[in-house]
Amino acid sequence: MTQQSGLSQGQVPPRSQASRQFLVGLGRGGAGALIFGLPMLMTMELWSLGFYIERYRLLLLLLINMPLLVVLARRIGFEQTSTWREAIRDATVAYAIAIAMSAAVLFLLGIIKLDVPATELLGKIAIQAVPASIGALLGRSQLGGHQDDGPTDEEGETESEVITSYGRELFMMAIGALFLSLNVAPTEEIILISYKMTPWHALATLALSILIMHAFVYAVAFRGAHQLSRGTPRWHAFVRFTLPGYVIALAISLYVLWTFGRLDDTASTQVLMAAIVLGFPGAIGAAAARLIL
Amino acid sequence: MTITSKSRHTESSKPDWLEWATGIVSALLVLGIVGWIAGQAMLHQETPPEFRSTIHSTQAVAGGFRVEFELFNDGSTTAAAVEVRGELMGGAAASEAAQVTFDYVPGKSSARGALLFAEDPVGRDIRIRAVGYTEP
Repeated sequence: MTQQSGLSQGQVPPRSQASRQFLVGLGRGGAGALIFGLPMLMTMELWSLGFYIERYRLLLLLLINMPLLVVLARRIGFEQTSTWREAIRDATVAYAIAIAMSAAVLFLLGIIKLDVPATELLGKIAIQAVPASIGALLGRSQLGGHQDDGPTDEEGETESEVITSYGRELFMMAIGALFLSLNVAPTEEIILISYKMTPWHALATLALSILIMHAFVYAVAFRGAHQLSRGTPRWHAFVRFTLPGYVIALAISLYVLWTFGRLDDTASTQVLMAAIVLGFPGAIGAAAARLIL
Repeated sequence: MTITSKSRHTESSKPDWLEWATGIVSALLVLGIVGWIAGQAMLHQETPPEFRSTIHSTQAVAGGFRVEFELFNDGSTTAAAVEVRGELMGGAAASEAAQVTFDYVPGKSSARGALLFAEDPVGRDIRIRAVGYTEP
């Protein structure tokens, strides 16, 4: 992974500087994997999920993660006109960092030992590597400073206008929802909460999720907040972005709950309630992704 | 689409029809979910957990016999820490008993489990019933 942030196109850095930047990039990825992955690495339910999760569901999660990372890498490198090839390379490196980091931390905490069966070992690491890999990618971009990366770009100001397609916008929301859902879904609390709730509670949660999601992006003036162009009624953005975003957050919730086997043999109303409970953090994750990415 | 410049995002004022289509489909989905849950809230009254069980299979395993069963909760509320007792009948009295605890059996749903017996249950009467639960 090279640091492209400071380099203009076509400029090749000296060899020693390039390898230093590569190591700095790895370090940032590792830091990101730790920041975003530690809450999950220290969650008990995920350790046990590592050996009882059905293998085809785990495989599916790992496969889905790959194109997700590539698109995320492409998006994050947008200021530096990264190509798809570079995005694939960055995503692969981020995944590798996440796997190494997860293995190291699980080993350090004494959760995996060398004498456990290989399937259990691999299962525990693989499931942790998914959120950690998203963290590794984010770490590279969001923690990356621009000062110490060689010559600063001159053309940055004029070319920093980027058009995000509608599909990409929804995709970013899906990544944000997936990340936060993965963090909380494995805990038993999610289904416990849905059992404690009455349908009225669920309706209130649903309304609040949508409201918060909309307010996060449009009303509260965060850095990166979205605004409507003049003359567009407010409900336009609500229908075009917030509602699809919420439906995506719910769909991701269902997918994550299914992956962790929380929906098996459960009645449809209970399934929906659990999805709404998990959709609450999912919606916030989706909204946050629109601000950050 | 959205135009990003210096971390300011401005939503395009002339959106594609696809954006509207997605928005409308999403609105319908959300309304559908709200309608479904509101319907559940108003029409269905809460009934306490009610259990019944069915035996799926009996297999010989190392050191005994495994009886796989499914416990249904026909009530609308969820039961937690459901203790299930299985008795192998030998004539009129139980000759062997085994028990298992389910973390949760959600309302109108089921949970699967297995009981392990030392004696061969084939051809004998097995009684499996829930003996207690807590509210989640």
